[in-house]
Amino acid sequence: MYLDPRWVTVMVGSAAAFGALSPLIHARRFSFFAASLPHSALLSVALGYVASSTLGGHPAAWAILVSLPFSSILVHLIHRGVSEDNATSVFVAFTVSGSVAVIHYVLTNYPARVSLWSYILGDPLLASWEDAILTAAIASVTIFLSSKLLLKEMSIGLDSEFAAVSGIKVKFHNYLLALMLTAVAVSLLRVVGFVVEHVALLLPSAVAAQLARSAREFYIVSILTSVLASVGGLVLSVYLNVAPSAMLGFLLLLFYVVSLLTGG
Amino acid sequence: MHKGEQSITVENLTFAYGEDVILSKNSFSVRGPGLITLLGPNGSGKTTFFKLLIGILKPLEGRVFLNGEDVTGDPFKAGVHASYVPQLSAVRRDLPLTGLEAVEAALQGKERAERRSRALEALRLVGAEDLVNRKLSAMSGGQLQRVLIARALVRDTPIVLMDEPFSGIDPRGRENLADLASELANDRLILLSTHDPVLTLNKSKTIVVFNRGVKAVGSPEDVYKLELLKAAYGSGVLIIEKCLHVLS
Repeated sequence: MYLDPRWVTVMVGSAAAFGALSPLIHARRFSFFAASLPHSALLSVALGYVASSTLGGHPAAWAILVSLPFSSILVHLIHRGVSEDNATSVFVAFTVSGSVAVIHYVLTNYPARVSLWSYILGDPLLASWEDAILTAAIASVTIFLSSKLLLKEMSIGLDSEFAAVSGIKVKFHNYLLALMLTAVAVSLLRVVGFVVEHVALLLPSAVAAQLARSAREFYIVSILTSVLASVGGLVLSVYLNVAPSAMLGFLLLLFYVVSLLTGG
Repeated sequence: MHKGEQSITVENLTFAYGEDVILSKNSFSVRGPGLITLLGPNGSGKTTFFKLLIGILKPLEGRVFLNGEDVTGDPFKAGVHASYVPQLSAVRRDLPLTGLEAVEAALQGKERAERRSRALEALRLVGAEDLVNRKLSAMSGGQLQRVLIARALVRDTPIVLMDEPFSGIDPRGRENLADLASELANDRLILLSTHDPVLTLNKSKTIVVFNRGVKAVGSPEDVYKLELLKAAYGSGVLIIEKCLHVLS
């Protein structure tokens, strides 16, 4: 069995990034946002492809650029008093409709150089060295930022009013977290795919919350769970000849069930 | 020891949730140090009043001053002067945080070593040393309340607001917390809300009777009277064997 170092790098890097963000999502009850994020990521990737084809530049850079306003609008709606459920419904309705329209436009007007299937199903096996380096860089930045933010985000999650009185700018942190999640989700969409991305964002912290005895453990266990599932998923996918992101999803689910049965 | 002014002043404060008026052009002022009890029945708007005092809510009209500074609708400014102990129900206990981490998190922008030593000191002050490594989800109501008080104290503000600290606590725990609040009020202005006056009556310097507005302010001897309590509690106040009983 051969494991290309590029595959391992993109799988471990993306898993580490998702695993590092997952505790922040759990602490801030951003699951509604994380679950809807792949929809806007897919739309952004399709728009990025159109933008780079017509205006030049890197499609991934365009995708990140166009994705940020979508997430900002969602957070703004919630700050304006729209319920999370309603805001998310509007967000998903817009991004899903937009994705279908833009993907149809791309497929009928552009000779697609990159398979859109890889964004939908995820395919780390197509990774180039450029992808591997980019993923490692994203993972490093994400781990650095999330570790710095962990205690503040936990404080806001614990009691946002006390956090505000103790000097934390809660609204700023809402935008910051939303934009971080968006940038990472769009950048790494091709590795895990649209279908499994929200699982990769949500389940590591769900496992860690069952097992951890402190915030520090919560963070570390979440990253380790995610990385273990990604390496295991890659090995199993090569061995069984199935999609790596599918095995990642199955393993995270398995870990969650085991944590439920064994955790305190 | 907190030196300098310790005061809460409210001028013409008006607030409503839509049609539901909580305060209408209310004014009052209290000074510290000492324990001030905000007494009122459940649903009287005590929590809303506290949120107005610490700038979480903006009044429709009027101003809030803490230690002479206008902090109306500004939690950052209010946070310089006052800290806050919320009701237990306002805190998420499902997060995997230890007692020490919950207190440490209140000290943003400080070095880790300083955060840790100050958090340990605050936990010691409230008699919660044994909760340093315990998860919030594994604590009783009384234990969690002590951690939340430590979290408020670690910020070292001259004013501390405590919102219904006795709710959800067993009788023994209530007495201990009342003693702790009284002790802390030696050098701070502690404003404590409760619907049950018995625990803090003898320990309070001032009683504020509250129900959809400030109904009376004064010493316990001046305020703990049938007609004044009836203004807040309605007919739920009885004299039995020459003793006042509040049936909130």
